[in-house]
Amino acid sequence: MLIKSYTHEIASRQEFEMVKITDRVKEAVAESGIQNGLVFVISLHTTTAIMINESLPCVEKDIETTLERLVPTDGDYIHTHMLPSYGTCSGNAPGHLKSMLCGNHCVLPVADGKMACGSAQDIYFVEFDGLKVRKYTIQVMGE
Amino acid sequence: MVIDVHAHPVLFGPICTDPERVKFRKQAFGLYKSSPISMEQVMAVMDHAGLDKAVLLAEDYSASMGQPIVSNEEIRLIMDTIPDRFIGFASVDPRQEGAEERLERAFKELKLAGLKLNLSHLQMEPSDARLKPLYACCVKHDKPVMFHSGFSWEPDSPSKYGRPILYEDVAVEYPELRFCLSHLGWPWVDELVMLLLKYPNVYTDTATVFMDSPKNYYEQIFMKNMAPGWLQNNLMDKVMYGSNLPRFRQVRTKTGLESLSLRPDVMRKILGDNAKVYLGMEVRGYAY
Repeated sequence: MLIKSYTHEIASRQEFEMVKITDRVKEAVAESGIQNGLVFVISLHTTTAIMINESLPCVEKDIETTLERLVPTDGDYIHTHMLPSYGTCSGNAPGHLKSMLCGNHCVLPVADGKMACGSAQDIYFVEFDGLKVRKYTIQVMGE
Repeated sequence: MVIDVHAHPVLFGPICTDPERVKFRKQAFGLYKSSPISMEQVMAVMDHAGLDKAVLLAEDYSASMGQPIVSNEEIRLIMDTIPDRFIGFASVDPRQEGAEERLERAFKELKLAGLKLNLSHLQMEPSDARLKPLYACCVKHDKPVMFHSGFSWEPDSPSKYGRPILYEDVAVEYPELRFCLSHLGWPWVDELVMLLLKYPNVYTDTATVFMDSPKNYYEQIFMKNMAPGWLQNNLMDKVMYGSNLPRFRQVRTKTGLESLSLRPDVMRKILGDNAKVYLGMEVRGYAY
């Protein structure tokens, strides 16, 4: 079995931002040379998500407003205090909780050297705690 | 104009090219898990928060640390990278010989706009004789001082040297010296309020969110520790917006302040107009 990994960087420009990365994942699959297997897309952070959904502005807005309703930015959270290990103040509990709800990765099949996905499926890197420079890894596994 | 008067550029990209310097800085400033950020990111964060300018503070405790955390030259380098968005403050270690000369150079050659002193880090009282030539130099060049005040988060920095009442002698002896007792002097807020009321040359900044969210913290300090009218009717010319970047995020501290129910004219003063007077960019057109 072969395993190929690719790590990419994203500089988010909003506190909440959905960045479509479908093409990058397809490119990684093609570059890997792997014909049949799986592709994993994994965020390297705790206040972001990897999400599969339909790339429509209305759906994206519904995702944002629903997450905000469930986890309001100005809600009361315990994770709002100085963190000695960082030397900075926490205050991003909503990001952690939205990340928990949405998950940090997705998996799709690789068939005949291509990523197999439905016509409505797009892959997003989702920022919940911008503005920051972020990383995610695409790992292709198979033969 | 919105001015953040309290930002530490400890991990700004242009001064983070040497990994050993970065490692030293992170340890010395207590920013253990944080990483350097590019100026593109710095500007994006400032723009997102709606900030026009930020005061960048040098930090020099070379007598005990062997090197500055952020030198005056490094502040100049950052300012030159993005012109017009930053105001640089110098730092010199008063325990070293030649501190006054280095401050003169910072003002005259590097065109820095003020002096940062953290007497908790220096373990020195504000009336210490070694500080007086620096105060005199600031008066001579019409430059303000930014004192760390109140609680100190940094290692080996006793908070007792940041107690506001210790700075009353400086206010009396140097009436022409504008100085800021930063971080609202927390937890000695009442002492700070007394000094703000009494001395025209004393200011403070909001670079303090040691617990809770900025919104709740500022509500506690300005509306509960102080009566709601204190800030609006008494201290409106003395409080300046400061974020304490990178310890607190600029957008969150600014939004927290803006969530207070303050008159628009008072909010405008806090977010920038008071800083202009403190920095010597404008002269206040009235006296009480």
